[in-house]
Amino acid sequence: MRQDNAVIETDRLGKVYSGRKGQVRALDRLDLSVQPGEIFGYLGPNGAGKTTTIRLLLDLIRPTMGQALIFGQDARENSVELHRRIGFLPGELNLWKNLTGDQVLDYVNSVRGRNDLPYARQLSERLSLDMGIRVRCYSSGNRRKLGLVIALMHKPDLLILDEPTNGLDPLIQQIFHDLMRETRAEGRSVFLSSHILSEVQAICDRVGILRGGQLQAVETVSALRSADFRWVTLRLREPVSPRLFDGLPGVSDVIQSSDGIRLRLVGDFDPLLRAVESAYILDIRTEEPSLEEIFLTYYGSHALSATSVEMAAR
Amino acid sequence: MTGAIFSHALRRNWRQILYWGLGMALLGFIVMWVIPDVDALQRTTEMLQAMPRPLLQFLNADDMAALATPEGFISIGFFSRAVLVFAVYAVSFGLRVTANEEDEGILDVLLSLPVPRWRVVVEKFAAYTLMFLIIVALSLGGLWLATSLTTLPVNMGRVLESGVAMIPVVLVMMALTTLIAVVVRRKATAVALTSGIIVGSYFIDFLGRAASGTAADSLRLVSFFNYYDFQAIIQTGIRIGDVVLLVVVTLVLLGGTVWAFARRDIGT
Ligand SMILES: Nc1ncnc2c1ncn2[C@@H]1O[C@H](COP(=O)(O)OP(=O)(O)OP(=O)(O)O)[C@@H](O)[C@H]1O
Ligand SMILES: [Mg+2]
Repeated sequence: MRQDNAVIETDRLGKVYSGRKGQVRALDRLDLSVQPGEIFGYLGPNGAGKTTTIRLLLDLIRPTMGQALIFGQDARENSVELHRRIGFLPGELNLWKNLTGDQVLDYVNSVRGRNDLPYARQLSERLSLDMGIRVRCYSSGNRRKLGLVIALMHKPDLLILDEPTNGLDPLIQQIFHDLMRETRAEGRSVFLSSHILSEVQAICDRVGILRGGQLQAVETVSALRSADFRWVTLRLREPVSPRLFDGLPGVSDVIQSSDGIRLRLVGDFDPLLRAVESAYILDIRTEEPSLEEIFLTYYGSHALSATSVEMAAR
Repeated sequence: MTGAIFSHALRRNWRQILYWGLGMALLGFIVMWVIPDVDALQRTTEMLQAMPRPLLQFLNADDMAALATPEGFISIGFFSRAVLVFAVYAVSFGLRVTANEEDEGILDVLLSLPVPRWRVVVEKFAAYTLMFLIIVALSLGGLWLATSLTTLPVNMGRVLESGVAMIPVVLVMMALTTLIAVVVRRKATAVALTSGIIVGSYFIDFLGRAASGTAADSLRLVSFFNYYDFQAIIQTGIRIGDVVLLVVVTLVLLGGTVWAFARRDIGT
């Protein structure tokens, strides 16, 4: 999906960190494009390279190979110009500890050479953030809200947000989602990283899945949702043996549950219905796979246990 | 916006100016306090002359002629100490140019704003330089005030020249700290390295003065303290060549900082 007016376009972007313990290939030949007016979700487990990508886009670190274009301009050469049009929220947000929220915004505002304070005030009210408190006294969630205000206050054409909802309570997350949708409605773009699949599912148009520094897949959320498998639960009046479904095309993971028979179906319904036509069907329920499941499919069974633990922890 | 970082740095640190300025003015007062009168100075000088030479050198008082005048006493009592106290200023504010904020992870936010990296270095360095100028002015004001409370005939012109000549040597130390902090990245290492170089320079200069004609004497050329000879300034006036040289070194170090900082990864 390459277009000339891409907001973000990376070309074999790569980063190798060299430290005392040798080299770490954090990002490997990333080819990615983000279109105007879309919310792009950047998904991956810990250490996948999401933050690395984001810091490359902001010219905080320099690529060991390839390049990134933002609004068609080199992210490195034109960083100062580009930063006028970008709002950034770092994954690990640190601000001037001795300043109050107001003073931080004042400083940011004057470095940008703009006057965005009235809108910043609106934003902080919307996020119910008290601006008179020193940064060191903010809770971590409130500090992130302040970070969001910094990123949003100048209404940038592109928002680059590293795990934006990390540490926000559900109510504020909802407000954040609204803000993102409003941003999109104004034709501006969002690039956000996340572990939280339901969030990506809720607000993103497309997702890129990154693992081990490599882009595994890029899909529209709607395509992923209509991915060609679904969970089917059949409730039958008389119990049937799960064996009945052996060898049926597209059917797998058959389990007998208290509800009836639950199975995974790929492709058409017909073979399944024919297999149970002798039974009296009380109910058929189908569920679309959650993005979690698609995510796990992409990640393979190897990552499954670790990720399930992470999911269970939420 | 140009100047935003500069004025923010000034605004956040005006208290520091007061503390440092008042502290140094106090030192000036104390130094003046202990000069009872010109006769006593004379006697002290004679007494000192009877002392073993290495001990005098250690006291930084090997030049008797300098000590015999009130401004000579000020030179040794105040400026020899002030330059060391200001070495602490140089290191602590040199670290504030980039190292502290990088260490705290704040630079990610600052550099995501439309500001080139060189401007962060230049504006902050300029702010801390201006602060230092104010502190020096306060110190000299303190000395002047203390002097005017006595009847001693003090050559204030020479005292002023000593103060002015001290500025570039402190700026060299600050620029050196800034450069080292940008290059080595680890703050603790930067502090250790810079302090080592400053103390080393001081001792090279000290030993070189003590033993002219030796290796240490020729090494003095690389010690920046060699270019701030407060005793000579009190006697013969400011040496423009030394001042210019130190200013040039400061600018070169600053240029190196900007060059190195623009090239590297932040916070890794
Ligand atoms: N400064 C660094 N020096 C060396 N290795 C690094 C550095 N920063 C990151 N890495 C390594 O690069 C890889 C990618 O890290 P990155 O922070 O980009 O992951 P991430 O996807 O943001 O993870 P998370 O979800 O935990 O935030 C990891 O293996 C990490 O250990
Ligand atoms: Mg991260």
